[in-house]
Amino acid sequence: MSISYLTFVREKVFFSTLAQLTDMSRYRIFINKAVLSLLFIVILSSNNHLFAADGEALFKANCANCHKPDADYTGPALKGWSKREPNAEWHYKWIANPAQMIASDPYAKQLFEKWKPTVMTAFANLKKDEIDAIMKYVDDYTPPAAPMAASGGASSGGESDNSMLFGILTLILAVVALILLQVNSNLRKLSDEKEKIFRGEPVPFYRNKTYIMAAVLLLFAIGGYFVINGAIGLGRQEKYQPVQPIYYSHKVHAGTNQISCLYCHGSAQDSKHAGIPSVNVCMNCHMAIKEYKGDPIVREDGSTVNGTEEIQKLYSYAGWNPTTKQYNPDNNGDGVPDGAKPISWVKIHNLPDHVYFNHSQHIKVGKQQCQTCHGNIQEMPEVYQFSTLSMGWCINCHRESKVDFYNKETGEGNKFYSIYEKFHEDIKNHKLDSVTVEKIGGTECQKCHY
Amino acid sequence: MKKIATISLLTLGVCIAIVSCDSKREPGKIYMPDMAYSRAYETYAERDSSIFTTDNSQKGSSKIYYDAKPVLGTIKKGELFPYTLPNDSNGYKMSATIKNPFDTVSLTEAQLAEAGRLFNINCAICHGDKAQGNGPLSTSGKIGGVANLTLDSYVKMADGTMFHSITYGKNNMGSYASQVDRKQRWMIIKYIRTLQPKSSAETKSMSDSTKKSS
Repeated sequence: MSISYLTFVREKVFFSTLAQLTDMSRYRIFINKAVLSLLFIVILSSNNHLFAADGEALFKANCANCHKPDADYTGPALKGWSKREPNAEWHYKWIANPAQMIASDPYAKQLFEKWKPTVMTAFANLKKDEIDAIMKYVDDYTPPAAPMAASGGASSGGESDNSMLFGILTLILAVVALILLQVNSNLRKLSDEKEKIFRGEPVPFYRNKTYIMAAVLLLFAIGGYFVINGAIGLGRQEKYQPVQPIYYSHKVHAGTNQISCLYCHGSAQDSKHAGIPSVNVCMNCHMAIKEYKGDPIVREDGSTVNGTEEIQKLYSYAGWNPTTKQYNPDNNGDGVPDGAKPISWVKIHNLPDHVYFNHSQHIKVGKQQCQTCHGNIQEMPEVYQFSTLSMGWCINCHRESKVDFYNKETGEGNKFYSIYEKFHEDIKNHKLDSVTVEKIGGTECQKCHY
Repeated sequence: MKKIATISLLTLGVCIAIVSCDSKREPGKIYMPDMAYSRAYETYAERDSSIFTTDNSQKGSSKIYYDAKPVLGTIKKGELFPYTLPNDSNGYKMSATIKNPFDTVSLTEAQLAEAGRLFNINCAICHGDKAQGNGPLSTSGKIGGVANLTLDSYVKMADGTMFHSITYGKNNMGSYASQVDRKQRWMIIKYIRTLQPKSSAETKSMSDSTKKSS
């Protein structure tokens, strides 16, 4: 009964959908038309939006490096330009040739006086409609809503909570064990009294020879461990993190701002030393960057570093006057601006004199990343010595690292290695698949000690 | 018993003394100072003022005169001759007449790749790796006035003027003379030319491509 009912229902549904389909086909042409016209309307209405986006793209490509719509930057804020310009055609002429306008036009001259010595670049190739699009974008500009303050730092306490829990648990277990031991000895005493067994006065634990022996052995092991570690550590400076004259954060520079290591330490690719950048290199960027506006830099003791103050320290070392945007005059004739002095950075990575190490050899020939030896510098607010710089550490890397061995067939690799005939033969006969630094003499004493 | 106590106390004391020397703000102790510290002057080592002097008037005395500067009138082997135009508006104007030494001998492929590498290290941080003025420091708004080198005015700019600006700095840009030597500067300029559109007609399509990417 129920099965036949179901088939009936299914048939009914089938027929009704068929009927709908034929109905639909009648209206298909109408629907098509409607959809087309709707699309047309949508395109038309969004055209205005496309035009504004064009202005944004043009602004970003041509103007954004010096101008912000709503704030003074290298050049003035552009919003409200139409109220400031002397006549409606002025801005076309100015954009086409600012230098000529400064020479002839009084308002242009006034602008230059305010923003000198920078003269705006001429954009003669911008067409009128493009300028209109840019100007429309500038006037319609509304600053994007500030992103919600990051909710970081909430999850950082998890790990310490766990260790606390483990500690408490261990303590409770230890107390329980002690109580049980006490109970055990009391019970034994009671049973002894009951059975009239005399065991004599028990020896207290601090006179018990087994206990004393165990304690001495334990002390010896722990003491020995620390003494040996301390002795090995003599002459090594792992984790050395001196206080520098300026709180310079590698995390901000190499991490957030993605400045290449070699931008400041360029001599690492040309010489033995990685080089500490001169103040001039700092000033390349800090002529423009006067204050620190990034995420707060927190020291290990919890205090916050005032980044702007640290930049001011740099200015005093450089003899730079941030208000006049000029170096101090050199009145005492020593060749540097008055008041300027070198920054005495504290060298962190020190190798003893009896070791030879060359940066360029490792970076240019060995193609090693800085981070291999120095750790994740881009995440260190204050730099510390990441590696032990011990001989074992050096040798280990020389044993594992493969050299960029020359491939005679493809011509790839460092051509210097073409002279190693035996290795070439071994590779040809499949006795060897790669050549390590050790194989070409990278663990010979005289390579580093001479 | 008393003996054991004294011995163990002494050992404990030594242990604590050795372990507590380990402060991360101090460089730590070394075994043999005369093997660890160089007698000769080493880069970044402090110069002993009783042996070395930088004072020109003390040149003839028993002290060693050393100021770490190259001897006057000498240049590094393989280095180009010094750039003599002064850092003023006149020098800027005259710089357009200086020819790029790589106009006559064109860069090899390896040299161009090296120039690109140097560009990416030293210039791309502001100017962007495509020289469109959109490097990380520029787009984050930290440094303003970064030039979009693919613009028409820079396509037309003479190599010598670019060299002048890199050597002495321009507006917000500092001098890069200490970071890239003269030869490298000329090489980088040649590399910038490869990033620039060939004619001003292509500048338009360049801004179109930035529109798509933004």
